[in-house]
Amino acid sequence: MSALRSVAASVWLGIYRDLCWTFPATVLALKTIAPIASAMTVSLIFYLGAATTGSLDPGRLSYVLLGAVLYAHIAAYAYSPTFCIAEGKNLSVFANIYMAPSSSAAYLAGRAVASFLISVCSSLLALVAASYILGATLHVSMPFMVTPLSVTLLLVALAADVPASLGLGYVLGSYSLFASKFEWALPSYISGLLMVFSGAIFPTSVLPWPFAGAANALPFTQFIAAARDAMIYGQLGAYGTSLVLTLLGGISFLLIGLALFTLSERKARKDGVIDRRLA
Amino acid sequence: METRPWLRTMKARAVVRLMSIFGEPLWIIVNVGSPVFSALALALLYRSAGMANYTGFAILGGVMISFWGNVLWSMASQFNWDKQEGLFEIYLTSPASMTAILIGMSVGGIVGTAPSAAMVAMVGYALFHPPIAADWVAVALTFVVTLVSLYAMGMTLSSLYLAYGREAESLNDSIQEPVSMLSGIYFPSIGQFSPFPFLVQATVSLIPLTLGMDALRRTLFFSQGISSVWPNLAALAVMSLVLLGVASFALKALEEKGRRDGTLTVRIR
Repeated sequence: MSALRSVAASVWLGIYRDLCWTFPATVLALKTIAPIASAMTVSLIFYLGAATTGSLDPGRLSYVLLGAVLYAHIAAYAYSPTFCIAEGKNLSVFANIYMAPSSSAAYLAGRAVASFLISVCSSLLALVAASYILGATLHVSMPFMVTPLSVTLLLVALAADVPASLGLGYVLGSYSLFASKFEWALPSYISGLLMVFSGAIFPTSVLPWPFAGAANALPFTQFIAAARDAMIYGQLGAYGTSLVLTLLGGISFLLIGLALFTLSERKARKDGVIDRRLA
Repeated sequence: METRPWLRTMKARAVVRLMSIFGEPLWIIVNVGSPVFSALALALLYRSAGMANYTGFAILGGVMISFWGNVLWSMASQFNWDKQEGLFEIYLTSPASMTAILIGMSVGGIVGTAPSAAMVAMVGYALFHPPIAADWVAVALTFVVTLVSLYAMGMTLSSLYLAYGREAESLNDSIQEPVSMLSGIYFPSIGQFSPFPFLVQATVSLIPLTLGMDALRRTLFFSQGISSVWPNLAALAVMSLVLLGVASFALKALEEKGRRDGTLTVRIR
């Protein structure tokens, strides 16, 4: 119960810190612009290819668009624990969190959930805006199925991805405990890796063996597949399978991430690096 | 203006930047991550969309995004960070020319980013073997002129960002992707293959990177020489001069305003 209270307090803190440094609507708009642009970039590349070969399939275009929005969403909040530790060390906040009776893992979980909530809003806004702009510019109708059921299924898929992203966040956070430079570069690596290996903008079958198999085993790949099943194909059976795989993979990621973070925290305390600012 | 102190200031600022990069080789690895993976992913997208011959566009984009990232994060934001660290007031009180400091930052940034950009090109070429039909003299000239205009834009942004407080980083985060998209780093955003309407193409041509990327693609992949891309090069040269003038003017105006308002030494707001 106490851990849940800590998580809830941390969620509130995260929302306040990320969204309320100026007008929340302005922050949300600023956070939405980048995913719109990156989703449009990959969609336009796909469009140019399809237009050149004379075989534009709006279904594939929406496949690319949805994947591009969702991989950016995962990267946005999976990085949250790393950022919290790095910023916390720099501003001497993290040492105090560590000394508090609640675990720092609960604090990081709360901050990640706050980032998740903000990112869900910005990603959905980006999806709507990019669909509209692309539809108007390219004169293509995006075949998204927007029904109460499909949107609910999408939201469920988004929630099902939280354990996996949080697990990834703990893994990255373990590194941040020891690093005091360049940890800000991690998100670019993570979003880059996700762009290649999560089936976000092209099918994983494009990747050579054994990368294709490894990519399919990732919960992030299954999450994006589930979202596509909900919003584009309307295949409930395939959606259910992908959702279960997302959850199973996610729980495994979370357990591994938590174990690694606990061990790292213990070692970081022994090495005296929890409050170290510069390398 | 005496040239010797000016040159020494420029050299000193460039050396600081180079030392900070080459004194820590991990910087190169850090800078390579995002461009390499983006280039790989988009090259695979080109291939899966049936345009295997155009994977070079994605790799060239990866090379140029390294410089664009450097302009945004190591040029535009720099004076803002210097202000937060208390370094900017030292610049102002010293006899050093601010323009020399900005140009030194640019030279250091270009030389420091070159190894990362080269690594992106080598990895991309090794993996995809994109067909290249280059007029190398035109490519080299275009590359240099593009970088000059791009860093001139960085100097202008650096001056303008002095007016901002903590919102500067959020602004950087927000403009990085849209400018990458509109300037056609990874796909042609102007010309006959552009998906944008004419009005949008005309507007985005005001971004130096747009004209530079267009000329680079034409010289590197379609054997076009200087005789074909000279309008782009001329426009980029004019933009460079204008942006340098704007940077110098903006810096003086904001410095003066900062003196009057008493915000020059306010570190975080």
